[in-house]
Amino acid sequence: MANSPLKVTKGLFAGLGVTMRTALRTMFPKRGAKTLIPAPSKGAHTVQYPHEVDVPAPRARGVIALHTENCTACMLCARECPDWCIYIEGHKTLAPPRREGGKPRSVNELDRFDIDYSLCMYCGICVEVCPFEALFWSPEFEYSELKIADLIHDKGRLSMWMETVPPFESYEAGSEAKVLKVPDPVPRDKR
Amino acid sequence: MTAVTDRQKLSYIASQAADARVNVELETEGMTLNIGPQHPATHGTLRIVAQLDGEQVIRAEPMAGYMHRGYEKLSEVRTYPQITTLVNRIDWLGSFANEVPFILAAEHLMEVEAPPRATWIRTLLFEMSRVAHMILFLGDMGVQLGAVTPVFFAFRDREFVLDQIEKATGGRFHPNFDRIGGLKDDLPKGWIESTKDSMQTVLTFCDQIEDLLLGSEIFQSRTRGIGVIPKDVAMQYGLSGANARGSGIDWDLRRDNPVGLAYPDLDWKVWTHPDGDSFSRFWVRLQETREAVKMIEQLCDGMPSGPIMAKVPRIIKVPAGEAYVATENPLGEMGYYLVSQGGLTPFRLKIRSASFNNVSIAPWLLRGVYVPDIITILGSLYFILGDIDR
Repeated sequence: MANSPLKVTKGLFAGLGVTMRTALRTMFPKRGAKTLIPAPSKGAHTVQYPHEVDVPAPRARGVIALHTENCTACMLCARECPDWCIYIEGHKTLAPPRREGGKPRSVNELDRFDIDYSLCMYCGICVEVCPFEALFWSPEFEYSELKIADLIHDKGRLSMWMETVPPFESYEAGSEAKVLKVPDPVPRDKR
Repeated sequence: MTAVTDRQKLSYIASQAADARVNVELETEGMTLNIGPQHPATHGTLRIVAQLDGEQVIRAEPMAGYMHRGYEKLSEVRTYPQITTLVNRIDWLGSFANEVPFILAAEHLMEVEAPPRATWIRTLLFEMSRVAHMILFLGDMGVQLGAVTPVFFAFRDREFVLDQIEKATGGRFHPNFDRIGGLKDDLPKGWIESTKDSMQTVLTFCDQIEDLLLGSEIFQSRTRGIGVIPKDVAMQYGLSGANARGSGIDWDLRRDNPVGLAYPDLDWKVWTHPDGDSFSRFWVRLQETREAVKMIEQLCDGMPSGPIMAKVPRIIKVPAGEAYVATENPLGEMGYYLVSQGGLTPFRLKIRSASFNNVSIAPWLLRGVYVPDIITILGSLYFILGDIDR
């Protein structure tokens, strides 16, 4: 063999040395190995999840929020969805005229807007195709359920996510894109 | 026939007969060893059927297809914007790199050209997905050899790159950021600055890996001279990417055919290694990571201003025709052969993924190697199962 056992053993101990140094640096981030009480979460790169929560980036695709006032039940999102996990039902009603003495307007009222998160691929096509800015991404991710049927979020639950939608970030220098504004969520008692 | 009188001679014949009997009992028998489909050392569900003679492999055959998801067929019934979210999932470690050739093929048919800023951001994210991909390889190679520390280093430092991708695109693994004619969104404020910081972490990681793994005597004795692919064999099997460059083939699509990406404006180098063994493939990927970091820094500094979207109709219909666009993905050449008949969906989409060709050399390469080296060689070939099966 080209490598003698002695040389290989040397390599083994060199590797173990690196591991040991890193472990000590993680456990005793401040004072090296002089302190006796290790503090695992100080020098570590991980977060102790249920106790500490790492906040995702504002653009992170966590959950889709619905601004019900803007939705006209046009079905564009439901049609463009790659796995058809959006269910919409609506009907036409007459709304009071905008001006005094005008004719009553015909508007689409939303009866049902469900997103099945057990099917959703989180691609964001629905948010993108919405022409009336009724759908928004929220970085919220804590909505796991015990029963798979509970992952179908209805209109009320989707509009509740509006509270967690962060404002859009401004763009990097040299950008010509316009920063949009997130509408204020509807207060709870008016929902 | 002479009668056997000599007692010594008689005992000799008896011992010979006994030896023969023993040899009959101890005659080696072939053994079939199934590695996979679920095996911790194969990233995904690749099954390798190896016929062994003792510790040596006589014949090994990779069995692909356990993860077939039918993306080629599925994309015939999906519109073009919906396909980008499907192709994300082909090579899931470098997802953004999967979108780019598809989008470029569709743009070629539509005769749309993305504005310069979109091209630069595309190239930037393309190289970032390469860095994230290669970091995992560099750590993963250690774990194939029994060194556990590098893989933790890799997962720790890859997270910095993935965080940057998430900040810009919204998805760590499935960006779905590329659109026909440009990009979905522009970069958020402060992104370029934090990307440069995370690239410094990657450079430190590369030095660490070089120190920890490349210089290690154990690593060298396990990889040097093992799994040697000569140049001509690599050509015959159609290897691409770092596997080809590790065999001394000086071929890189980023330099030789940079369609629609900003590579000609950058200062970088294609690394090759003449040996063709597991070590050289590792070495080439390590140098490529450093080159990618160099490219990302140049892209960050020279980002042009302007719009990120060309004028494209709202409902995308690709005119009839066919186009093949290939780019140098983290794993090798990835190309899309797109046939359109003018409708909302492609008529046919053939996906040429790098891993399928790269793993096709396995029966040739694994013949005669020892069982522990199977994992090393497959690890150094570096494939992603989603990329093999599609």
